[in-house]
Amino acid sequence: MAGIPPAGRVLKPGRFHWLVGALVAAGAICVFFPFFWMAVTSLKTVPEIQRVPLQIAPDDWTNLANFREVFHRQPFGRFLLNSALVASVSALSSVVVSSLAGYGFAKFRFPGHGIFFFAIVGILMVPFQSVVVPLYLWVSRLDLLDTYLGILAPDLVSVFGVFLMRQSIEVVPTDYIDAARIDGAGEFGIFWRVILPSVKPALATLVIVKFMWTWNELFWPLVVINSPTMKVVTLGLVSFTNMYFIEYNLVTAAAVLSILPILIVFLVCQKWVVRGVVMSGLKG
Amino acid sequence: MGGPTSPPYPPRSERPGGPGRSSIFREPPREARGGSVSAIVSLFAPRSYMDRQRRAGLFFVLPALLYFSAVFLVPLVESVSGSFYRTVPGGTTQFVGWRLYEKVLTDPSFWQAVGNTVSLLLMSVPATVVLALTVALGLHRLRSLRWRSTWTAMYFLPFSVSLVAAALIWQWLYDPLYGLLNHLLRGVGLPPLKWLQSLDMVRPSLAIVNVWLRLGFDTIIFLAALQAIPGEYYEAASIDGASRWQALRRVTLPLLNPQIVMVTILELIFNFKVFDTVYATTQGGPAGASQTVIMLLYDTAFKYFRLGEASVMAVFVFVSLLLVTLVQWRVFRRQVEY
Repeated sequence: MAGIPPAGRVLKPGRFHWLVGALVAAGAICVFFPFFWMAVTSLKTVPEIQRVPLQIAPDDWTNLANFREVFHRQPFGRFLLNSALVASVSALSSVVVSSLAGYGFAKFRFPGHGIFFFAIVGILMVPFQSVVVPLYLWVSRLDLLDTYLGILAPDLVSVFGVFLMRQSIEVVPTDYIDAARIDGAGEFGIFWRVILPSVKPALATLVIVKFMWTWNELFWPLVVINSPTMKVVTLGLVSFTNMYFIEYNLVTAAAVLSILPILIVFLVCQKWVVRGVVMSGLKG
Repeated sequence: MGGPTSPPYPPRSERPGGPGRSSIFREPPREARGGSVSAIVSLFAPRSYMDRQRRAGLFFVLPALLYFSAVFLVPLVESVSGSFYRTVPGGTTQFVGWRLYEKVLTDPSFWQAVGNTVSLLLMSVPATVVLALTVALGLHRLRSLRWRSTWTAMYFLPFSVSLVAAALIWQWLYDPLYGLLNHLLRGVGLPPLKWLQSLDMVRPSLAIVNVWLRLGFDTIIFLAALQAIPGEYYEAASIDGASRWQALRRVTLPLLNPQIVMVTILELIFNFKVFDTVYATTQGGPAGASQTVIMLLYDTAFKYFRLGEASVMAVFVFVSLLLVTLVQWRVFRRQVEY
């Protein structure tokens, strides 16, 4: 046998090989279906939604009245903008602080090195909900309720980022660093010109994953945001529902608007997202 | 690491801090290590090359350390201490010892929330893990790379959207009058269900949403692990005359054991903290049947402003998840040994 055959290729295909493929495909379509249903509902009018018997396709595929109504009822454009701003800042600050710390932990030894890293990884075990009350009190004492800084406060850096960057920087050959040092580069110059360029894939992963996480967050914004103009898009979505009557044509239109940006990011950068997931899974 | 000609650790006095090969210094000499006072003093008054290196390392990690202390460590300590104080209507706080723990831990609605959370978790965690494993095995079998990545992306899609959006899409599918699922039930002649409105159905319905949300994440982790298994193992198994089923039982599953344990723990943690989906749909209803621990914590803190009691719940959540993690470590150690 030449070379190492990839796993799953060695055994001959079973008798029911086609069945496996069909089942996997059917499952994928079932998982995808709710998105499709959301999209078609957002193009329907209320009578179409309530029509019996059920009709899958909307009467008019170009009916954007629901989307106009969403923007009319709530400052939804502002919500999208708030989310984009908060998510971008959190992604950027996370990359900066995490890569600095990752470099420090990967390539230096200093007093407390092991304890500090253990403490940071230990934070993964602290659920955010366990610290939310004191955090809320701090944010309110600092007069940051209803501000961007208030929303951002616990989202500026994530432990996952520090971990990811340390793992990635650890495999950068130390010889590169030494060579730069011999050439007279300062410590920050080495970080900027040697380390960062060699971990670009990890930087991309972190930016994308962190952007998605912050964009999708509900709990903390719910706690710190009151005024309608400061809402992020998840809060805006919730505001289209109430206990008694829900206009699903509007809810689905708003959901489409909230999902679309993240879906584009996801589809374009899928490779990086998957990398991040596998890394975050490995972190345990 | 250093070449054979370079001396291992020259005395500090011989190295006046010029440029040098740091790789040979990655493990500092024994006398410079340890939490000795001189090591800390040298951070502020660097004398040698090694001192400067140590200081640089500390400066690089300092922003992260300060940030995490401010956002996690200090609040965690405050949460614990806050659970011993009652807020008096005047606005001041009063030390009450274990009184709030007594109050929360004897409150039937707290235990109802714990029970709901655990029952949600028991429904969704096994289902997610088993389904994800099945899907990953199926995807791994596919020969066409293009189709495999297409289906994988579709399974993974729910992971990328917000829990709120996901919950609202499902609430629409579950709608008792016009929802798609009841249309389908009527279509095959079954009575429609009150998915999110009935005491019996609300938890299974929410569990389905959680399974849908997490399936792709677990599948990707399993798939990555499957792809890391060398084909020779299967070759050896087939030479020994193993059937497909035996290869799965005796080769694949034992090798996936660490991932199965890890994914189960991650799912336990995720499902224990479930909030967004419940908040966006049932808000804990009907009659508290879907009230979860985190929902109760949120209501206690930010609806009724009983911060002391909320802190007790926060400590409860922290300790519960800590126990789960400790169990994970024990199980992991056992798994790795075989």
